[in-house]
Amino acid sequence: MREIVVNIEDVWKIFGPETEVERALEAVKTQGLGKAGVLQEFGCVVGVAGASFSVARGEIFCIMGLSGSGKSTLVRHVNRLIEPTAGRIEILGRDVGRMSAKDLREVRAKQIGMVFQHMALMPHRSVRDNVGYPLEIRGEPKSRRWAVSEHALSLVELRGFEDRLPKELSGGMQQRVGIARALASDPEILLMDEPFSALDPLIRRQLQNQFKALVDRLQKTTLFITHDLDEAIRLGNRIAIMKDGAIVQIGTPEEIVTRPADDYVREFVQDISKLKLVKAHSVMGPLDEAEGDLSAAPRAAGDSDLDRLIDLSVGSALPIVITDAQGQDIGLVSKARLLRGIQGGKD
Amino acid sequence: MQDESLAAVSDVEVDKQDLDASIAQFAGWNAAYYQGVFHKIHAATSPIPLTFNWVAGLLGPIWAAGRGVWGFFWTFIILETIAWVQIGRGAWGNLGAEDLAKAERQRERASSFAEKADAARAAGEDPGRLETLAGNMTRAAEQSQAAADEANAAAIGILSIGLAIMLALKLVQAVYANIAYEAQYSRWRIDRNVPFGWNGKGLVLGSLLFAAIVPLTVYKFTVTSVPEVLEAFPADKALYASAADWLEGVFDAAAAGGAGMFDGITAGIRWILEALTVALIGAGHRVAIFTAASLAYVAFLGYWEISMETVALVGAAAFLCVLFGIPLGIWFGKSPRAYRVAEPVLDFMQTMPAFVYLIPIIAFFGTGNPPGVLATIVFGMPPVVRLTALGMRGVPDTIKEAASAFGASRWQLLRDVEVPLALPSIMTGVNQTILMCLSMVVIISLIGGGGLGKVILEALQYAAKGPGLLGGFAILFCAMVIDRIVQGGFRRKDQK
Repeated sequence: MREIVVNIEDVWKIFGPETEVERALEAVKTQGLGKAGVLQEFGCVVGVAGASFSVARGEIFCIMGLSGSGKSTLVRHVNRLIEPTAGRIEILGRDVGRMSAKDLREVRAKQIGMVFQHMALMPHRSVRDNVGYPLEIRGEPKSRRWAVSEHALSLVELRGFEDRLPKELSGGMQQRVGIARALASDPEILLMDEPFSALDPLIRRQLQNQFKALVDRLQKTTLFITHDLDEAIRLGNRIAIMKDGAIVQIGTPEEIVTRPADDYVREFVQDISKLKLVKAHSVMGPLDEAEGDLSAAPRAAGDSDLDRLIDLSVGSALPIVITDAQGQDIGLVSKARLLRGIQGGKD
Repeated sequence: MQDESLAAVSDVEVDKQDLDASIAQFAGWNAAYYQGVFHKIHAATSPIPLTFNWVAGLLGPIWAAGRGVWGFFWTFIILETIAWVQIGRGAWGNLGAEDLAKAERQRERASSFAEKADAARAAGEDPGRLETLAGNMTRAAEQSQAAADEANAAAIGILSIGLAIMLALKLVQAVYANIAYEAQYSRWRIDRNVPFGWNGKGLVLGSLLFAAIVPLTVYKFTVTSVPEVLEAFPADKALYASAADWLEGVFDAAAAGGAGMFDGITAGIRWILEALTVALIGAGHRVAIFTAASLAYVAFLGYWEISMETVALVGAAAFLCVLFGIPLGIWFGKSPRAYRVAEPVLDFMQTMPAFVYLIPIIAFFGTGNPPGVLATIVFGMPPVVRLTALGMRGVPDTIKEAASAFGASRWQLLRDVEVPLALPSIMTGVNQTILMCLSMVVIISLIGGGGLGKVILEALQYAAKGPGLLGGFAILFCAMVIDRIVQGGFRRKDQK
C-alpha cells in the first residue's frame, strides 16, 4: 500500500449562525434530517455531510458532482481555507485542524499548490511574478524566484511569456500560468478546483492531456474537482461522486461506470462511452457458453477493453476467448455479450 | 514536454547569460556594474540589500534624471533642497538680522528720547518721563541685541544639522539608488515604455531643474531682503489691470446685452474646458505644455505668490486627508461594521454647510491658515475614505483566496493584493479629495485663510467681476495641474 498523503475522516461543514450550527449538526447526525429540513428548521446550509476518503501518493483523486454538491467546499478543507464544523483532516499524518496560524501558512506555502477555476492571477504582476508569488511569500530571494518560475513555466510550455501581464494571455495560457504557480513551490499536493471548466472544449482536452502527463511524471498527489464525468474518467485514478454534500460512491472509473451505486450515479454514467473503460473480464461469460472448436477463435487478455474486443470480433465469426496471465482460457465474450457491454451492462 | 523539467526544483538556476544580456540592454552605459549589483540584489534575502552606488550618492537627483528614475529624482530633490536650506541658513543666513535691525532701531529711538530729555532739561521742564522712556528703550535694545547674538550662535547648530541631514541623504541615496534602479528594471521587463539606459536629455532636464530649484529656494530662504526684481517677477501689474478692466467691460456689456449673451459665455467656457479636457487625455508632453501654460497664466497675472500660498494650504490639507483617509478607508473596506458606524459621519462631513463648523473651529482654534486647513480636511477627507473602502471591497475574492491558499499572511495579502488592486479607486479618491480641498479655499478665506480665496472674497465684497473671474481661473488651473501631476505619477501599464 502506498503512503497516504491526504486523509479525510467524517468531515462535516454546516454554514449558518454559530449558535445554530452545533444543534443542526446534532439533528442531522441523530435524526437524519435532510438538507431542506436543516435549512427550514435551523436556517443553516449543509455544505459537506460526513465525507471520508484518503488519497495515496501520486494518485489523482477526482471529486465529481453538480454545482452546489459541496465539492469545492470539501476540497477547501484540505488547506483549511474553510474550517470544518466537525471531522478530521490530515496531511502527511499531521492534523490540519490543530495547526497554528504560522504552521498552516507554512504548509500552504510549501506542501499545497492550488489552481482555481477563474485562474485568480494577480493582474498587476507579470507572469513571472505571479508564478513566483508562493516563493515570495516564503521570503525567497529574487534570483531563486526567477529561476523557479522559469522552470515551472517550462513545465507548462510557457517559456518566453515571463514578462507579459496575465491579461495579455489567452484563457488557456492563463490557466497554464495558474498550474505553473501551483507547481512553483514543488508541493506534495495539488488542489485543482475545476481548473478547465471555463475553457473551450478543444483547449480543455489539450490541457487535460498535458496535465495528466505532467502529474504522472512529477508524482503529485492531486485532488481534482470537476462537474464533468468525462474529465474525471480521463484523469482520475479514483473518482468520488458527491451529492448534496455527501459522497455517494468512491471507485475507479471502471467501477463507477460498470457498477453505479444508485440511480443518481447511473444517470451520470449512462452517456459515458464505455469502450475504453469496460474490460473483458467484466463482460465475459463461462467457457461452455459456446459449442464447437474454439482453437481458431481470437484470444485476448482479461484486461483488454471493449475497443480492443470490437477490433478482434470484426475479424472473426467466432466468439473471443479470454485468457488469464498464464495463457489459460478463462471465459468467452460472445457477440451478444460484447454488444450488451457497449450498451452499458443491460442484461 | 522536455525531460530537463524532471530536474529537482531545488537545483534550477536562472539563465545567467540571458539575464546579463537583458540587464546590459537596460542599463546601457556601465552595464557591467549594474549586472553585478542586480545579481547581488536578486540574491539578497533582506528587505534592504546593501549595495553602494557612490556615483548616485554623490550626484543624487542628477544621477536619477540621467537614469530616468523620476520618482527618485523628485523625492530626493525635495529632501536635498531642505538640507541645502538648513546649510545656507547656518552658513550665511544671518539669522540675527531681524533682531539686529530691531536693536538698531530701538537704540536710535532711545538716543532720540535721551536728546529730547536733554532738550527738555535745557528748557527747564521735567525730563523724568522722557528719561524713563529712553531707559526702557535702551533695555529693549539690549534684549534685541542679545536675541540677535543668540540667533547667530545657533547658526553653527543649524549648519551642522544641515550638514548631517545632507550626509545622511547622500548615504541613503547611495544605498537606495540600486534598489530603485532594479525596481525600474523589473518594470521595464514588463513594459518597454519605462525609461532605460543613460539618457542625455533626462540628464540635461534634471540638471536644469536642479540648478533652478535648489539655488532659488536656498536664496529665498536665506537672504532676508529679496531684491525687487525677484519679488516683482513675473507679475505684470499693467497686464493684470488691463485684463481685469477688459473683463469688467465684457461683463457690463453682457449684463446690458441680456441673457443670450450669458448663455453664450457659459457655452464658451464649457467649450474651452471640454477642449482642455480632451487635450489632457493624451498623456506626457501635452500635460507638460498645459502645466507650463497654466503656470504662465498664474505668473503673468501676478498671482504667483498667492497661488503658491494656496497650493501650500491645499497641499497640506490634502496630504493630511490622504495620510489619515487611506488607512481609514482600508479599515472601513475590511470591516462592514466600522463602515456602518462611519457612514453617517462621512455624510455629515460632506453635506453639513462649511459655515456651520467654521464657527466652532474659530472658537477652538482661532483664525488664520491652520484652522482653515482643519476646515478643509473636514470637507476634503470623505472622498478618499469612501473610494478607498469601495476599492478594497471591489478586490475579487478569488484573488484574495488564491493568495491565502499560497500562505500569504494578512499583511502580505494587504500589501501584495488588496492595495495594488484597489489603487485605481484609491487614486480617484485622492483626486477627488484634492479638488474638494481646492474648492474650500474661498470658504477658508472667510476665517482669515490666505491665498487665492482671499482674492475672490475681496472681489465678491466689491462686486469686482473681472478680478473674481481671473482668480477663479487661477484656482482652476492650480487644481488641474496638481491633479494631472498626481494622476500621471501613478499610471501603470495594466490600467492603460
